[in-house]
Amino acid sequence: MDVKITLDCKGLSCPMPMMKLAKAMKELSSGEVLEMLGTDPGTKSDLPKWCEKTGNEMLEESDAGGGVFRYLIKKA
Amino acid sequence: MAEQNKKPGILRELFNTFFAKHWPVWVGGITLGFLNILLFAVKSPWGASGGINNWGENVFKLLGVSAFENASPTGTNLYAMLCLILIVGSFVGALLSKEFALRIPPKGEIVKGFIGGGLMAIGATLGLGCTIGSFFSGVPALSGGAIIFTIGLFVGTIVALKYLLWEMEKFPKVSSGKSFTFLAASEKNGKWQVWLGWMVFASVLVLAYRVAGTNGVLAWFIISGLLMGLICQRSRFCIVKAFRDPFMTGESDGSVGVMAGLVITLIGFTAIKYFGVGVGETIRAREMSWVFEQFWLRGLLGGFIFGIGMTVAGGCAVGTLWRVGEGQVKLWMSALGFLLISPISKKYIVPGIVDLLPHTMKFKNYLPDYIGYAGAFMLVLAIILIWYVFVKWNERTGRFSAF
Repeated sequence: MDVKITLDCKGLSCPMPMMKLAKAMKELSSGEVLEMLGTDPGTKSDLPKWCEKTGNEMLEESDAGGGVFRYLIKKA
Repeated sequence: MAEQNKKPGILRELFNTFFAKHWPVWVGGITLGFLNILLFAVKSPWGASGGINNWGENVFKLLGVSAFENASPTGTNLYAMLCLILIVGSFVGALLSKEFALRIPPKGEIVKGFIGGGLMAIGATLGLGCTIGSFFSGVPALSGGAIIFTIGLFVGTIVALKYLLWEMEKFPKVSSGKSFTFLAASEKNGKWQVWLGWMVFASVLVLAYRVAGTNGVLAWFIISGLLMGLICQRSRFCIVKAFRDPFMTGESDGSVGVMAGLVITLIGFTAIKYFGVGVGETIRAREMSWVFEQFWLRGLLGGFIFGIGMTVAGGCAVGTLWRVGEGQVKLWMSALGFLLISPISKKYIVPGIVDLLPHTMKFKNYLPDYIGYAGAFMLVLAIILIWYVFVKWNERTGRFSAF
């Protein structure tokens, strides 16, 4: 998969990951994919809700090890 | 057959119901509201800043600061214990769901945590309460001052959110840089968290059982703290989120969860106050529970400063506490800032400011004194309903959202 940007949100807590994500997604074009790395458990429930609301698609959510979660989000 | 063997056992399924996924925020709101009503029925409503202030006083007492030598011991202070065990409850919730990890953020975030905590301490000591005492408990307690405090909170949150957006744009380095994560569980290697979670859970129950013989109310506060921390962690119940998210991503779930809790608490508190439920007090004393003399600029300014602090820290008083239990080091700094600044603010800063602020003792602050119980109940309900319509409308239209 072609990942356009990787957003490192490791160590950050609410609201910084979602704020950074929303800002970064603005800079993508439709169909491009963003990879986000984060450690805040809150993102696990915030992100799917946000995708549902904005129409962006969450392609993947996986455990990258060491407490890091990896998300792939495709811009609508 | 192989398919059937994979189906989890009944108890495992029950466990998964609680710990496999986050709960909807409204489930957290309603259960927290229920526990809050019970706390009031047993003694007095939920609060957080007073407990944290007690920790701070005890820290200064330990350091030998003579001004705080009369601080009541944390071990017997109801609210100090409630807050302390709330952290433990969240720790248990995080362990049982394998979400515990020490998460050390970039340096800038650590500083923001401390400053946010310090601002919350000043706001709480000035405005007589925090997002719990003067909002989640104070508003259902039919306190006029709590509504004023809440307006301040709201404005403070919006101002600080603007700051965060500006900071992210102009100084992105504050929230980026080296971070570390320790002790995290992985899918395969995390059973120790579950075992430790059960051990801590059982230890708190033993503690409550031992305390119950001499101080039943304290035992009840300990059990409530344990459950409240666990509920907060699982539902990610957060008052900053409730105020902030409609203006950030437009999300309303956090707000609706808090509203659900407010409505349940409103019903319970009104009944307790109206009927004077509770032993050893006059009805008037019961009515005036959690109705503080913060009218009007004191409450407004306190709420405003608190709102800024909680948004910068990323957790209100209770949101800070449960994130401490989850291992978020930014919020450890926020708790530290809160507990260190709170006693200083209460003793040395607030008395000097309060005399300068316009306030009136004529206004008794208790809404039913002016508009009756039915009127006060309907007024609070109407405010919640307006807030609900606003966040839902905003979610659809994105009118006030930053993104």
